[in-house]
Amino acid sequence: MSLSLLTLLHRSLLHRQSRARNAWIALTVSAAISTALLTLYNGLDAKLHHEFRTFGANVLVTLSSKEKPVILSEAKDPLHSNAASQKLSEKERLVIPTERSDEGSLRAQQNSESMGLLLSTIREAAGPNTQAVPFAYAVGSTASHQPIVIAGTDIPAARQLNSWWQVSAWPQNENEILVGTRALPQLAATNNETTLTYGNHTQTFQIAGTIHTGGAEDSRVYLPLAAFTAFTGAPASIIEIQIPGSAKQVNGALDRIRQQLPPNAEAHPIRQLVEGETRIVDRTRALMFGSLILISLMVAVSVLATLSASVLERRRDFAVLKALGSSQAKLQSLFLLEALSLSLAGVVSGFILGSIAAIAIGKINFGAPIFPTPAILPPVAALNLFVATVAALLPLRVLRKLQPAALLKGD
Amino acid sequence: MFLRLLAESFLRQKRRRLLAGLAILLGATAITTMLALGTSIGDKINRELNSNYGANIIVYPKADTLDIDIAGVNIKPATSGSYLREQDLPKLKEIFWRNNITAISPELPLTVTANNRQLTATGLWFHHTIQSGTDTFTTGAPAVHPWWKLTGTWPNDNATNEAAAGAKLPFHTGDSITIDNVPIHITGTVTTGDDTDTQLLIPLALAQQLNNTPSAVRRVYLSALTKPEDAFARRNPNSLSPKDHDRWYCSPYANSIAFQVDEAIPAAHAEQIRRVAQSEGQILSRISGLMWLVTIASLIAASFAVSSAMATALLERRREIGLMRSLGASQTTIASLVFLETSILALATGTIGWALGSLLAARIAIQIFGSQIPFNAVLLPVVLALSLLVAIAGSIPSVRFALRLDPAATLREDA
Repeated sequence: MSLSLLTLLHRSLLHRQSRARNAWIALTVSAAISTALLTLYNGLDAKLHHEFRTFGANVLVTLSSKEKPVILSEAKDPLHSNAASQKLSEKERLVIPTERSDEGSLRAQQNSESMGLLLSTIREAAGPNTQAVPFAYAVGSTASHQPIVIAGTDIPAARQLNSWWQVSAWPQNENEILVGTRALPQLAATNNETTLTYGNHTQTFQIAGTIHTGGAEDSRVYLPLAAFTAFTGAPASIIEIQIPGSAKQVNGALDRIRQQLPPNAEAHPIRQLVEGETRIVDRTRALMFGSLILISLMVAVSVLATLSASVLERRRDFAVLKALGSSQAKLQSLFLLEALSLSLAGVVSGFILGSIAAIAIGKINFGAPIFPTPAILPPVAALNLFVATVAALLPLRVLRKLQPAALLKGD
Repeated sequence: MFLRLLAESFLRQKRRRLLAGLAILLGATAITTMLALGTSIGDKINRELNSNYGANIIVYPKADTLDIDIAGVNIKPATSGSYLREQDLPKLKEIFWRNNITAISPELPLTVTANNRQLTATGLWFHHTIQSGTDTFTTGAPAVHPWWKLTGTWPNDNATNEAAAGAKLPFHTGDSITIDNVPIHITGTVTTGDDTDTQLLIPLALAQQLNNTPSAVRRVYLSALTKPEDAFARRNPNSLSPKDHDRWYCSPYANSIAFQVDEAIPAAHAEQIRRVAQSEGQILSRISGLMWLVTIASLIAASFAVSSAMATALLERRREIGLMRSLGASQTTIASLVFLETSILALATGTIGWALGSLLAARIAIQIFGSQIPFNAVLLPVVLALSLLVAIAGSIPSVRFALRLDPAATLREDA
């Protein structure tokens, strides 16, 4: 008998094409579904945390307005600067200015410069994809002497942060303002113009559009920050920060931000958002994990049954080889080699198909593809090779006990 | 003869039927589990979002003046503006979507002097019971603000001498203080992570008494289970045709619930809190969308696995088919025999798979969400139809192949 193992393998795969094809399809399906589900499971965290950004800021920094923000470029390590010792003193409550301060536009200019520094320091400390938007508030009055909250912010940044803001038209230039839907009737606007008074300072503004949120914003008017500071002389008092990630990541970033903050600033998380996000992401992950295990195992067992049945049906091949003098070891390696080569082919095609499925699902559901990482290849291959190995060896143990002569005579 | 063949086939070839049966069983189990989870996941996640993020609808007096509210501090004088009436609030549990309202929290903020210190006190319900018809419903601020953490106990809603203190106030559980010269006992301290930490939380009745405004409520927060907003939800209900109006009214959109609140309490205006409602809607549709796509992917994978098992099981029956043909059976007879066998097998194992899958889905739901999912009998016909379809579709190529072969050749086992 001069047939080598490889020749036998080659002939077996070639002459029993439909059987080999069935086995290959089964193994491909098994590899594809585990690739797709593992990829989705791995990418889920990032995708879901991205979705939770629609809730807006999850950390607030409040600046007490008695002091202007400290310029941090000279005091990179505030823990060891003199300022730090003051930080521990009792925090001043947020003071809401109602009177225009006497200091002129020079002060406003300094404020906006140090605010810019503070914002970039926060973004640097918190990590990539962090959004930080300054807000300033003051209580002024309308033309009919009704008190009204005047807010100042970086409007393009706020638009990006607060996706739920329903705005009829965004301001295009510095003198245009947004008016809350509840505030609009109180403003007695004519020709889209309205006057606001702050202290003894009265100014006319162009109304660009209305803002509607169902929250406190509806009762306010929003000015671009520069126009707000020029009008009121007050600096930003709150920085809204959006840090993507789990509670642990947010708290880590929060600690880093706190180390960089000037002594008159206090950072705290919005607990409702940070905790809720973590809980929901965790539950969704658990659900995906359950589905991953369930589907991968069910399909694997089904494939295992199919493959071992197909090996079991080859008792005649087995008997012929045995009658011709093949050892059990040689038979085992033949069947094993056949199963493993099919399985490898299955992993390759399954990985490709599964990746396509994961990319498509990511694209359809999250608007951005989820790409597979090489790290998921080992578990996918291991599961598939394991299934193929068991499917090849299990029936052989059954056949081993049978006599070749009896097998050759028929069923 | 045909029936005997059928019966014998099941009795004599147990092992071969076992493979096909096992494959369908596993496929049906997996699909039932995924479908059961997929159909209930929206509701589960909705409840989860609802109980984490609190109120998504706010109700305030229609004729209200502007809120002077900065960073949670309301500096509007408590006496200005108009109020809602507390006795109107049970009407909230009489609207069409009353069962979707999971929590109600009225608020009456006022400025008080507590131990010579000026601060904000908010009148709230803690565990207030609403009677509407024969139903009772207990709700309050803790249900709308699930992230509030309490040490001690909440004040009694009927007590006029109890309060809870925000954690940043210098008051502790057990302290006796005076609020506007009324002696008050602190029953607990609350941390909220926001500006409520510097407020006193008092029973609504006490706030009304201190404010000299009997039965007055400044605003009401509602938590409601809602359907994510789509283009239809944003339509103006008054511009819809009667049929569309009914459909809009009978969909639990935040907008339509707010609309029904407006109808129930004419002096009130309700609207969705867009930050919560919009974001919840988006998260909800993303997670249920993901689950559906995963279910579809699993369905396809399970179909292929079952099909290839059916094909393998049939591939080995070529000799049997050859024998039947050489004994004079027509192709139709053989095909009907095989398909009938397959159908019986698919229906039987599909039913078992459905039962197992339902149990499994229930276990997973309890494990992850800590609550049951409703038993879904509609899934049985769906799963059986799928099992039947997949099993027969998987058999067709093999049967055609077997019938095309020369019976003599198959019997000699040369094929």
